[in-house]
Amino acid sequence: MSLHIGIDVGGTFTDFVVLDPASGQLELFKVPSTRPASDGVISGLQLVMQRLGLKPEQIARLVHGSTVATNAILEGRWAKTALLTTEGFRDVLEIGRQNRASLYDLSVERPEPLVPRARRLTLSERLDYQGRIIKALDASQVKRLAPALKDAESIAVCFLFSYMNPAHERQVRTLLEAELQVPITLSSEILPEYREYERTATTVMSAALRPVVGQYLEALDRRVRELQIRAPLQVMQSNAGIVPAAQAARQAVSMLFSGPAGGVEGSRFIGDQAGFADLITLDMGGTSTDVSLVLGGKVGMRTEGVLEGRPVRMPMVDIHSIGAGGGSLAWIDAGRALRVGPQSAGSEPGPACYGKGSQPTVTDAQLALGRLDEKNTLGGRKLDRGRAERAIFDEIARPLGLSLEEAAAGIIEIADAQMERAVRKITVERGHDPRKFALLAFGGAGPMHAGSLARRLGIPTVIVPPVAGVLSALGLLVADRVHDLIQTFIQPVEAPDLAKMGRFFKQMQRNAEERLRDEAVESVKFSRMLEMRYRGQSYELPVELAGEVLTAEALAEAARRFHQAHAQLYGYEMADRPVEIVNLRLRAIGQTPKPPLKLSMNGAKRGSASRPARKVYFHEQGWLEAQVFEREGLAPPFKLAGPAVIEGRESTVVLMPHQTTCVDEHGNLIIACGGAS
Amino acid sequence: MIDPITLEVLKNAVIGAAEEMNAALIRTAYSPNIKERRDCSCALFDAQGQMVAQAENIPVHLGAMPFSVKAALEHFEEFERGDVIVLNDPFAGGAHLPDITFVTPIFVEAQLLGFAANRAHHADVGGMRPGSIAGDATEIYQEGLRIPPVKLWRSGQLDHDLWSMILSNVRTPQEREGDLRAQYAANEIGRQRLIAIAQRYGIPTMEGFFGEILDYAERRTRVAISKMKPGRYEAEDFLDDDGIDDQFVAVRVTVTVEPEKITVDFSGSAPQVRGPLNAVFAVTASATYYTLRCLTDSEIPPNAGCYRPIEIYVPEGTIVNAQLPAAVVGGNLETSQRIVDVLLKALAPAVPDKAIAACQGTMNSVTFGGINPRTGEPFTFYETLAGGFGARPNKDGIDAIHSHMTNTLNTPIEVLETLYPVRVERYEIREGSGGAGRFRGGNGLIREIRALAHLSFSLLADRRKTPPYGLAGGSPGACGEDLLIRTKATIRLKAKGSIQLEPGDVIRISTPGGGGFGNA
Repeated sequence: MSLHIGIDVGGTFTDFVVLDPASGQLELFKVPSTRPASDGVISGLQLVMQRLGLKPEQIARLVHGSTVATNAILEGRWAKTALLTTEGFRDVLEIGRQNRASLYDLSVERPEPLVPRARRLTLSERLDYQGRIIKALDASQVKRLAPALKDAESIAVCFLFSYMNPAHERQVRTLLEAELQVPITLSSEILPEYREYERTATTVMSAALRPVVGQYLEALDRRVRELQIRAPLQVMQSNAGIVPAAQAARQAVSMLFSGPAGGVEGSRFIGDQAGFADLITLDMGGTSTDVSLVLGGKVGMRTEGVLEGRPVRMPMVDIHSIGAGGGSLAWIDAGRALRVGPQSAGSEPGPACYGKGSQPTVTDAQLALGRLDEKNTLGGRKLDRGRAERAIFDEIARPLGLSLEEAAAGIIEIADAQMERAVRKITVERGHDPRKFALLAFGGAGPMHAGSLARRLGIPTVIVPPVAGVLSALGLLVADRVHDLIQTFIQPVEAPDLAKMGRFFKQMQRNAEERLRDEAVESVKFSRMLEMRYRGQSYELPVELAGEVLTAEALAEAARRFHQAHAQLYGYEMADRPVEIVNLRLRAIGQTPKPPLKLSMNGAKRGSASRPARKVYFHEQGWLEAQVFEREGLAPPFKLAGPAVIEGRESTVVLMPHQTTCVDEHGNLIIACGGAS
Repeated sequence: MIDPITLEVLKNAVIGAAEEMNAALIRTAYSPNIKERRDCSCALFDAQGQMVAQAENIPVHLGAMPFSVKAALEHFEEFERGDVIVLNDPFAGGAHLPDITFVTPIFVEAQLLGFAANRAHHADVGGMRPGSIAGDATEIYQEGLRIPPVKLWRSGQLDHDLWSMILSNVRTPQEREGDLRAQYAANEIGRQRLIAIAQRYGIPTMEGFFGEILDYAERRTRVAISKMKPGRYEAEDFLDDDGIDDQFVAVRVTVTVEPEKITVDFSGSAPQVRGPLNAVFAVTASATYYTLRCLTDSEIPPNAGCYRPIEIYVPEGTIVNAQLPAAVVGGNLETSQRIVDVLLKALAPAVPDKAIAACQGTMNSVTFGGINPRTGEPFTFYETLAGGFGARPNKDGIDAIHSHMTNTLNTPIEVLETLYPVRVERYEIREGSGGAGRFRGGNGLIREIRALAHLSFSLLADRRKTPPYGLAGGSPGACGEDLLIRTKATIRLKAKGSIQLEPGDVIRISTPGGGGFGNA
């Protein structure tokens, strides 16, 4: 028996998923998260081995989802970094795009640059827009600078137009490597893409995280070896692909948005199993909600993210977050409108029903309307329905002249309206019709809102997976090895320099192969994309480039796809306008072995799932008698018509009137919503 | 009667619709000025032309857009489904000529539900200088093509004659065409979305919501005003000159803060000038609303209700309410900033914890164009330069950042040089330019651009003679400075004017610093 273990470190818990790839059997474990996170990872591994009676050699794979990079930025613990840049452009990193984050806030702040001015040094050198050298790099100047870099823990190099010609950046590295023992990160390797601020910011971010990520993963790897585990350690990246731990530090920035990527990848897998290739994922927790897309069985990606006001350009899972969750506070503003969030009750004092706070939250509204059961323990505690009702009545209903039910239903409706807006942002604003998707809901509060949200958006199907709470850890085990490479190449699509283009693609392919060579992957697939635009535009669209050989026909086909994609996204195309290629992209996918499609859950109880019915309030119908079931006892061919409540260990599903649900062979609840309201 | 729940739910939906328009406009536009710099805004209006929701990217569009819809309503007795009204005339709903506004009436069956409108800054609308920001214009006819409210689409049919008339009067018609199409598409999104919401909730609910969201914003604005210290406050500040006559131009204001009401009186401001620094009333209103939004509660959704508690008196024929045929392009860009400066100065005692020292007080508009030797095609390019942000009552100002009425992004150097025959040689913080004080004003920046071909170059900037003021004993920020560096000589440039550049010439612009706060 050889097992795969996925380890996902969250804010509160570190989740472990142990998968037997031969049988599809899954085991789930949770331990409290720790500082440093590696303590919890190691003690959890020991727990898993002890509970399952595992020998170290039975573990064949370890995949780790870590927020070490994100936390380092959020907590200001990045490495002391120096930046070398073109003379005259010392402050590109600080000036940014010269805009402010808030239009009307006179106390607005700009995020502190990761490299302060004193450690931003310039070198006399210059390339033109085609990468031709206008001013050669002066090697003696680099040597003279070296002493000033002595106390830096990491160095970033970013010259203007280096994406057209990396020679100067490489020369600097060679010269400095002879003098210093510090990791050097080149913009032409991290992001050979035009737009100097974004390239500099991304390169600096990567350099500043490199020692942090490197030290964490080295220490973790060492401790894993101390447990006699020989399995390779891999980590999740922002693009929902995994890399060997040993490679991760070199492009540390790629881990920055990896936190939620596992959950989306896990959702993709669950959706695939259930037969849904187009998904909107809804992860609603206590303080926030994340939404993302799976399109045609692929995780929806974007190319830029922002953390604390600092942009990072690289392919990452396209996740939109809003500050509305189960713990969001309901309040009345100065104009007498009922508001929900963005303030949250957090875990202290928590929703009123937890017995401490007196401010009502979304969770309190759910409880007051009978959707949550006071006897059902949530997160290990009993809920105080009387206290929830009092909070809603005193703070909301009475001041606004509403009944308790109206106020509670209003709180939920407003939270739903905010989530509807979030879903529209990632669908409609990206040219997708939400009615063509299934909604996959997880997180503590997601399944409670999914039914009503689906009605608002006209989404026909809701999926509630059985393992929602550990979706992220599962995602780690089903993810592929993925490398995304980019090269700016601005040329007209009708007559590009094919030889040069071919060389670029070959070079990217060689890079990717090199990174994939170190361990066994089942097979490597390359997909080539062209990012194109109408000449004069400044945002590009990715289009697939078909075929192995670069031909005029393949390019003409890509141009046709571009017109189509433009029409889909923006509603019009301009067939008579010249189209240009802006970036070449290569995605190398090293496919990892996939577990068999049938996952069976451990510990699923069989037997009577039915619980006593109770009254549940619905906005349109009022109080209705709702059937109540326990999630764990449900198995096919179970079918149910709403109104009903299905209570699980991790979350509660609310089935609206006129919605029906069944359990599929994988244990998913599949809810038929019957189209738009 | 709209309950507080429906109000909040529809508020999310309708503001969301304006944001969807905005996202569509930015994504579909053609020129860097809209796509990269986001010099555009979108809004939705009720059937009476009252603005109910706005998604603005730059404050100078705040509160100025309603004038466009009002002008459309005044010009046309009736609208048909499929009509689209286009305008840019500052004397009929516009602000300055480069800002072209689209207004689309929205019908549900036969009933007029409201309007979708969007405004975008076009990189050229003709006139005497490429880029249509002529620092030396003396009447609006020199500033470009003036479009009064016209129906560019009638019942869904594009007026091809009008379309080609517009495109024949601009220097870069292909680019304009792409941007105009994007503006059309953005309003379509707003129209479809508002109809979908109305169909879901019903027209009576929708109309009730329009009324209530305005009342709601009004209530919140009155509450916010009641937190200001009542009194009568006065201030004056100056523009360096109008670009033609070498004399200071005064902007004066008296603000009366009463509980729940504010009156702003610009009497005493200079008469309108010969140069292009004249602000039309829409611009003055916009700058006033911006300032009050900063000083009250910026979380209030911007709509017509916010403006009910604010009364603005502006004598006609002044720098802050110019009449035909004044040249106005800089009113929007420069005078708007000075109006904010003077209002903040006046109101500092009323809101001592919020008011800040003067920011750079200019947009430093740079325009250049000519024939691109790489393509043989004509081109124009427009950008604005950041400067120092004023020091705050509790912290320093910010270096090299856009302030007040603008917030447009820079164009990346790697984009600029790839497209046009120029080389940027320096883009750095201007050390020592922020005003001293207990809290230091933000520094300006220095940008050097080398011409690689014959270029027509225009600059429109201010605060070259009258520095951004300090507050509570803080020192003023440094004035800006503009140099032409040639191999043989360095020449100080006029901050409002145009010159011809030879290949090899370098322009160095140093932008003003922000004022300091408190005694050092």
